[in-house]
Amino acid sequence: MTTEASKNIHTWRKVVAGILFIIPWIYYTLLPLYNTVQPELGGVPYFYWSQTLWLLISSILFVIGVILLYPSKR
Amino acid sequence: MIGPLGWGIFLGFFVIFIFLGFYGARWRRGDLNQLHEWALAGRRLGTFLAWFLVGADLYTAYTFVAVPSGVFASGALYFYAVPYVATVFALAAVTMPALWRWSRLRNYVTAADFVQERFNSKLLAGFVAATGIVAEFPYIALQIVGMQAVLTVMLLGVVKNVKLVSDIALTISFIILAAFVYTSGLRGATLTAVFKDALIFLGVIAILVAVPFAIHGGFSAAFNAATLKALPTGVSTLKDPYFITYTTLWIGSSLALYLYPHSVNGALSAESDKKLAMSTALLPIYGIALALLAMYGILIYGSPEAMKILSLFPASARGSLVIPTLAVTTLPEWLAALALLGVFVGGLVPAAIMAMAQANLLIRNVVKPIYPRITPQGETRAAKWSSVIFKFLALGFVFIVPATYAIWLQLLGGIIITQTLPAVFLGLVTNKFDKYSLMTGWAVGLGLGIYLFITPHKPSAMSPLYPIAGHLVFIAIIALAVNLLIVLVGTGIAMAVKRGMS
Repeated sequence: MTTEASKNIHTWRKVVAGILFIIPWIYYTLLPLYNTVQPELGGVPYFYWSQTLWLLISSILFVIGVILLYPSKR
Repeated sequence: MIGPLGWGIFLGFFVIFIFLGFYGARWRRGDLNQLHEWALAGRRLGTFLAWFLVGADLYTAYTFVAVPSGVFASGALYFYAVPYVATVFALAAVTMPALWRWSRLRNYVTAADFVQERFNSKLLAGFVAATGIVAEFPYIALQIVGMQAVLTVMLLGVVKNVKLVSDIALTISFIILAAFVYTSGLRGATLTAVFKDALIFLGVIAILVAVPFAIHGGFSAAFNAATLKALPTGVSTLKDPYFITYTTLWIGSSLALYLYPHSVNGALSAESDKKLAMSTALLPIYGIALALLAMYGILIYGSPEAMKILSLFPASARGSLVIPTLAVTTLPEWLAALALLGVFVGGLVPAAIMAMAQANLLIRNVVKPIYPRITPQGETRAAKWSSVIFKFLALGFVFIVPATYAIWLQLLGGIIITQTLPAVFLGLVTNKFDKYSLMTGWAVGLGLGIYLFITPHKPSAMSPLYPIAGHLVFIAIIALAVNLLIVLVGTGIAMAVKRGMS
């Protein structure tokens, strides 16, 4: 049943979804890039608000990834 | 502080919470004598409810108490919780729908059920189940510490013996919790989860809106005030020596979360693999509340009134009181009462799901292999009673172990549970691993993890961090690396031996 269904998903969909899922993992390991005070936002250092913003970005990437992996199923 | 109005609202809404918990038994009615109906709500939760349930299940007193407490006391290091929740759901969106498909096909209720068939070993499944049961205890204990923090702030100035009254209140709450989980199972937990989340979001947003009015100078003043306190790991940015600590903490936590039985339990209750994947993909958004709560650990330095209240307590107890104190000092009384109730039931709901998940593991993967003739009804009854017992064991644990340790122990839970990763997550990809190598890797990883945790070293006697080449590393990562190495090498040897024999 479902294992066969997953075989029908094109490889390119799996590859692109995989990349989308991995992007936040890579971003967050590059700590020196976002470990700065400037630019501040409403008195909050970049270290804090940029990582918070990436929660939203991650969610968008993951949703696209899921849509790619489950194209037609309910 | 909280007066009669606040108490009235807190208790009034708590009654609604209890009603929802019991009403769950009637909601989407199913035969609650079946384990999957009781423990997985009949696997019928759509994207929306699965999002709320798993969200409520994963954002716990860890979020409201441990993380803000860590930021408050140590600084930027504890913001590791943000990359952790951003990344964990990518892992879950890949692994959990796969586990869901196996579970639907073969009627699995736990991850250990899957391991048992995948590697054809009841013993390995028993090890995975026992690991889950043990690792869950400190996590439940942490929920109770969060609830204690709320009661402490609410009872301040109201009664003389705060500790005694809060212990009694906790015990009563747990009796109510045990009763409705017994009757409604995961259905009760789901309904109360939506209620809990509404209160939490209300509280988090209300504090954010109240900041400019209640705290002079807002976040910039708070960051300046915190900088003067020279928090050890940095305030505006993370200090250099902690780079590796930060990264290993979030990666280790991320790998661990969906190995916890309560996360698996929540995931398996979804209606379809796609709905599960979609709700999981949306969960990082839920984490924005966590990021704000973490920052409130700094924000509180900007409020002289809140700092004055905290100064009434010993330094070690202050951290867990950050969010409740901020709520009572920045919000109008009625709103503060709702926010406090949010944190309080924010501990109760996950505690319920955790104890249920422990009970499932005990009955399915430890008791059933020993007494294979147990009936499905008997299985469910035994699970219901074990969930009651587990809750009270955790409560007793908190009354004995001091709060400061409970938070350390939650990270010990992470070290322990991560050792089941090769059997569970890698088992989803391949069944080629040799089961004896998996058992050896698990045992060595577990032993090493606990040994490093209790070995005295700087900066503290018992710590989830261990220094390697001058950097503090999360022990879960070290132990998992050794575990994986043993599994790979052992499987290689086993394959070579088999080939040699044939």
